[in-house]
Amino acid sequence: MSLLDFASLAVNTCQKLGTDEAEAFVQNLQIVEVVLERAEIQNERFKTQSGIGIRVIKDKKLGFAFASKLSRESIKNTCKAAISLAKVSVPNPEWVSLPAKDEFPKTPEGIFDPEIASISGDEMLNLVIDAYDAAKGYDKRVDIDDGKFSAILNEIAIANSHGVEAQEKTTRIEGYLVCVAKERGETSSMAYEYDVSTMLREFSPEKIGKTSAEKALSSLHPKAIESFTGKVILDSDPASSILFYPVISSVNADNVQRGRSLWAGKVGEKVASPELTVVDDGLMPKGIGSLNFDFEGAPRQKTPIIINGKLEGFIYNSYTANKEGKKSTGNAYRESYNMLPTVATSNFVVKAGKKKLEELIAEVDKGIIVRRFSGNVRPDSGEFSGIAKQASYIEKGQIKHALGETMISGNAFQALKDIIEIGCETRPTEIRAYTPPILVDNIHIISKQ
Amino acid sequence: MLLVKMVTVEVLKGILQKRPEGYVELRYHSRQTFSISVKDGKIETLNSGVVEGACARVLVDGSWGFASSTTLGKEKIDKMLRSATSLAKSSKPKKKRFVKLVSLKPQVGRYETPMKKDPEKSDKEELVSLVIDVDKAVRGFSKIIVSDTVTFNIVDDNLAFLSSEGSEIHQHIVRCFGSVMVVAREKGNIASAYESIGEQSGLEVLEKTPLMNAGLTAAERASKLVSAKMAPAGYHQVILENRIVGLLAHEAVGHCAEADLVFGGSFLANKIGEKVASEKVTLVDDGVFPNGFGTMKYDDEGVPTQKTIIIEKGICKSFLHSRETAQHFGVSPTGNARAWTFEYDPIIRMRNTYIEAGDYTLEELAEDIKEGFFLKGGLAGQADFNGEFMFGTQEAVKIEKGEFAESLRGVTISGNAFEVLKNVDAVGKDFAMRTGLCGKEQVNYVGLGGPSLRTKVLMGGAK
Repeated sequence: MSLLDFASLAVNTCQKLGTDEAEAFVQNLQIVEVVLERAEIQNERFKTQSGIGIRVIKDKKLGFAFASKLSRESIKNTCKAAISLAKVSVPNPEWVSLPAKDEFPKTPEGIFDPEIASISGDEMLNLVIDAYDAAKGYDKRVDIDDGKFSAILNEIAIANSHGVEAQEKTTRIEGYLVCVAKERGETSSMAYEYDVSTMLREFSPEKIGKTSAEKALSSLHPKAIESFTGKVILDSDPASSILFYPVISSVNADNVQRGRSLWAGKVGEKVASPELTVVDDGLMPKGIGSLNFDFEGAPRQKTPIIINGKLEGFIYNSYTANKEGKKSTGNAYRESYNMLPTVATSNFVVKAGKKKLEELIAEVDKGIIVRRFSGNVRPDSGEFSGIAKQASYIEKGQIKHALGETMISGNAFQALKDIIEIGCETRPTEIRAYTPPILVDNIHIISKQ
Repeated sequence: MLLVKMVTVEVLKGILQKRPEGYVELRYHSRQTFSISVKDGKIETLNSGVVEGACARVLVDGSWGFASSTTLGKEKIDKMLRSATSLAKSSKPKKKRFVKLVSLKPQVGRYETPMKKDPEKSDKEELVSLVIDVDKAVRGFSKIIVSDTVTFNIVDDNLAFLSSEGSEIHQHIVRCFGSVMVVAREKGNIASAYESIGEQSGLEVLEKTPLMNAGLTAAERASKLVSAKMAPAGYHQVILENRIVGLLAHEAVGHCAEADLVFGGSFLANKIGEKVASEKVTLVDDGVFPNGFGTMKYDDEGVPTQKTIIIEKGICKSFLHSRETAQHFGVSPTGNARAWTFEYDPIIRMRNTYIEAGDYTLEELAEDIKEGFFLKGGLAGQADFNGEFMFGTQEAVKIEKGEFAESLRGVTISGNAFEVLKNVDAVGKDFAMRTGLCGKEQVNYVGLGGPSLRTKVLMGGAK
């Protein structure tokens, strides 16, 4: 039986058992993984995982059940479990409907790579060794601490009682290394570097190795500076977690509808510097979040979020869209088959600027560059504070020295307005935000001095 | 469900009887979860489900291989063992370090979470109405509360461990936990607060630590902080509340005592027998703490767990080990090898990490502070190799001349573990234990505990 057959079987079973609406999401994952620990290859894993999540609605009451076992008997039991939960639930007067059948756009290019789908344990090891050698070969002072490389084949299928039927295969390869540099009894802070791609050919383990080594080395011999408020260059990762995590939370229609977003009612208003343009592009070729349908079977699309600093709109799944009588933007997402769909970004793409990182540095008279942020960001209020890791002090357009025991703090919503310049080197980050380095003003830079 | 377990365990035993190559560990794991979440008066999720699977970890000539599967049955399990064995062999030429395990007497045993109210027999409708009641009370707390999320979860793990050395262990672990998130808004300002409850036990946890209390604490905090400013930045004398001191134990010290990090040169490396903290500090990782979120009788390598003293009155005493690192360091394993699910091989993890109680009251801790902050409510944390750690706080109550004053918005604090522990000059008697989910390659449930204490940290706040 195909995944879609299992999904349809579940929907039919639920309908026979007397639900108003039913939906099944079936997933099959195959993962080949190499784990590095204590500076060496520790283990290699081969994992297969499958499962089904069944959502039923009866008299506007919702029930959901899941199982890792895909068989006729298990599916029947899971349908029954979902229905029995719906019975003890409370009606939601705002419930309208699961997505209706709709036409899907063309499958985005480059979301499935047969080379990743069929990668062998040996090929995976070779990739890791390439990264390992690149880090070790970069400088003798560099040590690898840990890391992990994974090749993932993800097959999903969705069916619902309104005739929605969808299935697709995607691939992803990702890897990270954590390096430290040691010199004269001093250990640098941990330097983290990663890469992620849907295509094997575009994945560079050498770059991971080299960059993590370079980051570790450049954070040796840190010095503290006097506290000041001023310019900070946020590299892609910290830019994404500090600036765009609150943005993503604030344009999530669920948060908007619940009063959890400061941007409710602000569509059309200026929320950021005119330099900033952001779209949520579910159809981007080779995007790690690309697919022609979302995780409840609504068509994916390209949705403008911020154009030249002006707020354009929010992202919706079917539930939040129905509440406002709108069409879903195709942003239903689930981490795994055992979860209900929520609203989430597909590929959150920040439009690249013109300048390279070196050029951004050259523009800063006095400031710092932060390449990793270890801290907390409050997505609702936008407040952030934390340690500036792999950070360096910049004076007169040049990097002077590494920074130690330095924190940064501020408010993301203010910082969006204080963007001076956006870099040109965009990369995907952990929250599926494609982000370039960003130069921001008025950030508090804090040290003990 | 238990029937599947018995059938699978029989298959696993059958495989081991055939004397497979190398050292073989086989694990079965089924995780049954039940979760309720109510958002703004409406049931958002009402879920239940079972995920089950098995895995094989094989050591051949010093090289590990691992495979897991959610499809069970003799044929699939045979195939799984074959792929783990072939991964171990094929990866061997590419490895530079070869594994040796410290010897271990075969362990045969059972463990079950002590429960007074088994959730298996609970009335799910009653639980749903309990969560709805908390949601109602939270939203009714104040007009400025605009949104909330109340959750309650039951995670029921059934585990079996078998090894080619003859170990056979069965463990049944039940964890019940809940959380409340509250958002308050007033005059264009927004503030959120979060509280959680939970332990390894049955539903009696709801009587010991009512979800309602957590809800009201969060509601009060969000309402209070909505018009408050961010706490000021700088190096300040602080009292860390008992509910967050576990984050200090876990992030600042615990990670650096994990032998895999010690190996790489963490700040505790080569410090056994040395003074690393004030003599007021005794810090332990306890695998047998009653009802601890990280408590188990055996770890995922079949090693019995124990109470391990990491720092005793300021002196570094021991690290946390797996069988592999215990062999390398020439010590006994501590039962800290843990795997999140059958999809992972075990790595060194903390269990319940806490600082032991002292004899100060909260008022006495504040008494000698001329200017400082009482930090409450934990958020996420992280630790670095070099001893630099951070974790977030939700609320900073100003202390002026020994008296508690107004509340400000909490900020992330950081410091060097060494320095912060040396600066601990008074330890409270109000010991508290809470739950946590720690991420290190794979996540896992941990306990975090301690009493309120006084030290100095760098606060990343406003100008």
